[in-house]
Amino acid sequence: MRQDIEKYIVLLSRIILGGVFIYASLDKIANPAEFAKAVGNYHVLPFGVENLLALILPWMELLVGLALILGVLIDGASILVIFMNIIFIFAISQALARGISIECGCFSAKPEGGSPIGIQTILRDIWYLVMGFVVLNRKSKWIEFYPKSI
Amino acid sequence: MLLLKKPLEQTIFFILLSIALGVGSNFFRSESIPLLAQELAVSDNVDLNSEEPVLLAISIDQAKEFFDEGVLFLDARDDAYYDEGHIKGAMKNAFLMELIFNIEEKQTKNDPLVVYCGDPGCGDSEDLAYDLQNEGFTKLFVFKGGWLEWSKTNYPISGKR
Repeated sequence: MRQDIEKYIVLLSRIILGGVFIYASLDKIANPAEFAKAVGNYHVLPFGVENLLALILPWMELLVGLALILGVLIDGASILVIFMNIIFIFAISQALARGISIECGCFSAKPEGGSPIGIQTILRDIWYLVMGFVVLNRKSKWIEFYPKSI
Repeated sequence: MLLLKKPLEQTIFFILLSIALGVGSNFFRSESIPLLAQELAVSDNVDLNSEEPVLLAISIDQAKEFFDEGVLFLDARDDAYYDEGHIKGAMKNAFLMELIFNIEEKQTKNDPLVVYCGDPGCGDSEDLAYDLQNEGFTKLFVFKGGWLEWSKTNYPISGKR
């Protein structure tokens, strides 16, 4: 019974995380120049590197999101979900601590007119982080297609 | 042996595929962006009377020349830094629309404007210059040395210092 509940929680986490990451990636993939500005606004990366990150990160979000929903390479996908959310939490926290008032760039590429960062953004990312750990530490590989457990 | 069975292999696979797709899609995109953001070209000799729209970085010598010619300076730093000390006559930063309103009370969008921030690494001046360019300003100069370089000289300043 307990295992049953657990596998539903894992599946639900996979669907939520997958949906969120796919949704978050689309606007950024379409507008890398805008997203690069949003990344630059955080002032954590050395000048120049924001373009590279703005090109690569949205695709990583999309791939990881698809993998979680389709049930393939779940271990790798959940590790990256955890890794990305730790980076996001760090970037947002340091911006808040330094009093930089900026747009999140989380779900929209726009460096202006979206949703500003705040404590709620960090709490949301902590929640995603927890779901990432739930998926990574799952006991059963229910509705997973590759790699299959023996 | 099954491919990508180990979590680490899967993680590396995702990273490599993301890099390939990100860099590859940019290559085929009509409005591709440079892989590394470009620094603004520094100019030492600028003709203010030219009709061409410009966004250039300038040296301290050029900045001083503009200062002497009465070009408007814009401080891109936070209020606290501005109050502490700024280039004499420089305008205080504000929300973009308010800032544009303040600038347009003094001059048109086609008049020259020098933007600066704390030091060569701060980046705020460049960000603001790009924002202003998007809003239709045509003669923008980023004084990269900023407050750090200016305040080391005996050039005119205002503020608490």
